[in-house]
Amino acid sequence: MRTADRARSLTFMESVIETKGLTKRFGERTAVDTVDLVVPAGVAFGFLGPNGAGKTTLIRTLLGLTRASGGEFSLLGLPQPAKRRQALARVGAIVEEPKFHPHLTGRENLKIVAAARDRAAAARIDDSLERVGLAHRADDRVKAYSLGMRQRLGIARCLIADPTLLILDEPMNGLDPAGILEMRHLIRAFVGEGRTVFLSSHLLDEVEKTCDRVAIVDQGRVILQGAVGEIGADGEPTLVVDVDDVAAAEGALAGETRISRIEAEAGRLRLSLADGLGAADVNRLLVQAGIAVSRLEPARATLEDTFLAVTSRLESNE
Amino acid sequence: MSLVSAEILKLVRRRGTMAWCAILTIGSVLIAYVILISLHAANPAHHGPAGGRENLKNLIFLLGGLANVAAILIGSAAGSQDVSSGVFRELVVTGRPRGTLFNVRLPGALAVLLPLVATGFGIAVLGAFALAGDRPHPTGSEIWHDAAYVLSITSVDVALAIGLAAFASSRVVVGVLIAWNAIVSHLLISITSLGGARKFIDVAAAQHFLPPGVNDRVIPMSGVTAVVILLVWAAVFQRAGRWWVLRRDA
Repeated sequence: MRTADRARSLTFMESVIETKGLTKRFGERTAVDTVDLVVPAGVAFGFLGPNGAGKTTLIRTLLGLTRASGGEFSLLGLPQPAKRRQALARVGAIVEEPKFHPHLTGRENLKIVAAARDRAAAARIDDSLERVGLAHRADDRVKAYSLGMRQRLGIARCLIADPTLLILDEPMNGLDPAGILEMRHLIRAFVGEGRTVFLSSHLLDEVEKTCDRVAIVDQGRVILQGAVGEIGADGEPTLVVDVDDVAAAEGALAGETRISRIEAEAGRLRLSLADGLGAADVNRLLVQAGIAVSRLEPARATLEDTFLAVTSRLESNE
Repeated sequence: MSLVSAEILKLVRRRGTMAWCAILTIGSVLIAYVILISLHAANPAHHGPAGGRENLKNLIFLLGGLANVAAILIGSAAGSQDVSSGVFRELVVTGRPRGTLFNVRLPGALAVLLPLVATGFGIAVLGAFALAGDRPHPTGSEIWHDAAYVLSITSVDVALAIGLAAFASSRVVVGVLIAWNAIVSHLLISITSLGGARKFIDVAAAQHFLPPGVNDRVIPMSGVTAVVILLVWAAVFQRAGRWWVLRRDA
């Protein structure tokens, strides 16, 4: 499908993945717990969570690799599992580490999967290999490939489907810094072509740099979802203050009830502000107490801050 | 490329397995003829010509046993290679029904095995005529019996191996089926108190197609019964394997 066609078709599709109460249990253990998730079309969507949070199980359930224990879901607007074949024909996926027949070459491995896809898939093999930079090694046996090359071959295998939706489970695993950067550029290029990329990862920084929207998952539950910028901006404003006497500054601010938290480190205070307290108010309090302020800067709440806050909140509730 | 062609590609690129299968099906016949020719050349008075109908009977019995091992090797590889390499998961996420992914294994494996077996069989028959000397040539009926025996025993064992490989690793499948074919089934066939029940053993049914005089312990049954029994064995194992492939987590 051409990029323009894909973009046009996406305008009629509000979400590419939608789950309602999706649940997967393994005996007594609930790996995916009544998940409601909406992945809009045409974005890079980060599915963020610590190891063992249920990310891969959710992906396996979406792809029909394991049966859901409850709830319902759709892929590309098609109800699953009823319209599984039609939906997966337009989905490319890497689940955990991409697997191949080690005794076959990279090209032969793609031929094997192309045989299971539509007739046009085989014609896309060369372009896919070229795109991920493996054309020169395509006729080497996969057992001679590095993990990074296998990741790239996995992406090439996704591309032979000309997918509308790419589901990538921890695609940065095993990549060196250059490979991570290359993968990030590839993902953004896919989004630029009108594809949707659903990216699961435990690497906060990568999700923040790569994705437009994000869902944070822990212990099988989706805790937060929204635009990366919105989620990062959630929570109390934080102020970083460099002072000459940290102990005295801490004492001077201790009585201010609109400061909900004070963290002291070498020559620096990190303050969580509430009820409209601003940087100028803090500066005034410190100066009035005779403390020299050398730096006063609002700290941008990162996705990492939010992630750690919500996951630790979850732990403290148990 | 069709899914069956993909199965063939996966199998023929297994160099070790293919080398062993070629040795078992073609190499064994060639080696047997080399030995027979050498013996005849060394002592023509004591060892007759290497060809002829009697030598062909013995060669077919040998080929049946060894091609049977080749069938198990290829069948177990065809039945287990996608799961053991982790590629089954990658095939499932294409949306192709799991049943289809399982169903193409048998024709793929037969497409690899049967040309090898046919070549070995062809060499055996050719040698039986070319090296017969003053010995009688095999008849058309005998050749038909020989072909039916080799074809039935190998085809059924491919189906059995593929079905069983859905549940166990290829090594286990190879061990179990070789033990069954070489030891257990023959022990059961030799237990006369089992009477007519022995005809339900697949090896006994396949032996029905052996030319008369090759094996004295052939259980009497009609050709139709033998074919039905072999088909039922193949169908049961294929059905079981397919059932598990449809249900297992990929």
